[in-house]
Amino acid sequence: MKRSSLFTSRFEIINAILIAVVSLTTAFAVWRTNLVGSNADDENRQGLIDAVKKQTLGNEHHRKVYEEAGFAYQFAVKQAEALALEASDDPAAQERAANIQQYLLPNMQLLAQPLATDEKYQRADGTYDLQKRLADMQNAEEDQLNPSASFARADSLFAEQRWLVVGSVLLAVSLFWLALAEVSNGRLRTSGFTIGLAVYLLGILWFVGVELIFFYTRRGGS
Amino acid sequence: MNEPILTQQQQTENSERYKNLIVVLTVFTTVLAAVLAALQADANIRADIANRDSRYFAVLASGELHRAALETNYEFSVFGDYFKNLQEATILELTALEQETNGDNAVAQSTREMAGISQARANMGEKFSIFYTDPRYAPQSENDAPKADQYVTDVFEKSNEIVLQQNKAADDYHTWDRKADLYVTALTIIAVAFFLFGLAQALKDARLRLTFAFFGMAVIGFSLVITITTLLS
Repeated sequence: MKRSSLFTSRFEIINAILIAVVSLTTAFAVWRTNLVGSNADDENRQGLIDAVKKQTLGNEHHRKVYEEAGFAYQFAVKQAEALALEASDDPAAQERAANIQQYLLPNMQLLAQPLATDEKYQRADGTYDLQKRLADMQNAEEDQLNPSASFARADSLFAEQRWLVVGSVLLAVSLFWLALAEVSNGRLRTSGFTIGLAVYLLGILWFVGVELIFFYTRRGGS
Repeated sequence: MNEPILTQQQQTENSERYKNLIVVLTVFTTVLAAVLAALQADANIRADIANRDSRYFAVLASGELHRAALETNYEFSVFGDYFKNLQEATILELTALEQETNGDNAVAQSTREMAGISQARANMGEKFSIFYTDPRYAPQSENDAPKADQYVTDVFEKSNEIVLQQNKAADDYHTWDRKADLYVTALTIIAVAFFLFGLAQALKDARLRLTFAFFGMAVIGFSLVITITTLLS
């Protein structure tokens, strides 16, 4: 009777210590799971900020290109008009052409730069390569903004969070079984303790495994 | 002397009845709560991703609409200018013919030169216009008009595609967000079951314990119905 009582008392103490350890582990696991989720949200937020910045730059580039294209078109049309006037037999028309070429066209060309001044944008038929101009506008700052990369990292972190939740659930289940063992007697106590311990170890292994897999996956991907 | 002892034993047995059943039910409820928590977390993550995609596509769609609007504005300005110059050239040419018919040859010559200038402007405009340089929109014959409708359809095609993707992502967000909410509802109901089983465990009267266990099972059944219908929806 005395030995049994001693065993019961020792078992309860060991089980109580184990419950405390499992509680702490569960708290840590839940903290870590939430941290990973929070990091995923941060990456999402960063991705959206980058997307807005990139889109703003893109919008400004398109606006500028079409503004320049409008000026370049007006320049080309005025140039064609001057050439037609120049080809005329009428001296007044020729004088008008000379005036346009001397005073008006240089100013229009300035407005239409760089399309009308840089040869690399000029096509053989007298039109301008707007796509090339747009490509040249895209600067290093715009290239650095990569929302897709942030979203990919967020997706990876979300996937990790999903699997860590499963680990946290296992730890919570083990806590329940150990608590059951603490308040039970006989076979139920032994089986409760065994199941609780097994589920706890499984939960730990699961948690560490998920962390390692995602650590190496992200390191390999980045 | 023996009678009171037997009554006490009966009372003890009575107070211990159905305790194992309550323990089993509590274990089942715990496992169900754990599974529900995982399902809820998963639905929440999916809702977050869909919400992000929806916002991202909204940004892309607005940018694409802006670009398409700038492009169409430019193209229709060029086309309008070309058309104005062409009309001027035609009218001036007709006027010159009329002046020649009236025997006013000097004026007709001047008018014809003006028509030539307008025609030169129109010829240059034609080179710049997508409606005459792109075979998809260019008129098939001299009497045909450019396919402006086709151009408008094409230029907004990409933005329409992005808007479709945005709508799909927004729908996904609503679906997963609704599921996450329903799982939270199921979890809340399970908390009631926990309370009922806890109360049943603490009670000494077997019939009362069974009554609370029954109500607990009913609550779990309701929670299971919500969980399964949400999972399958």
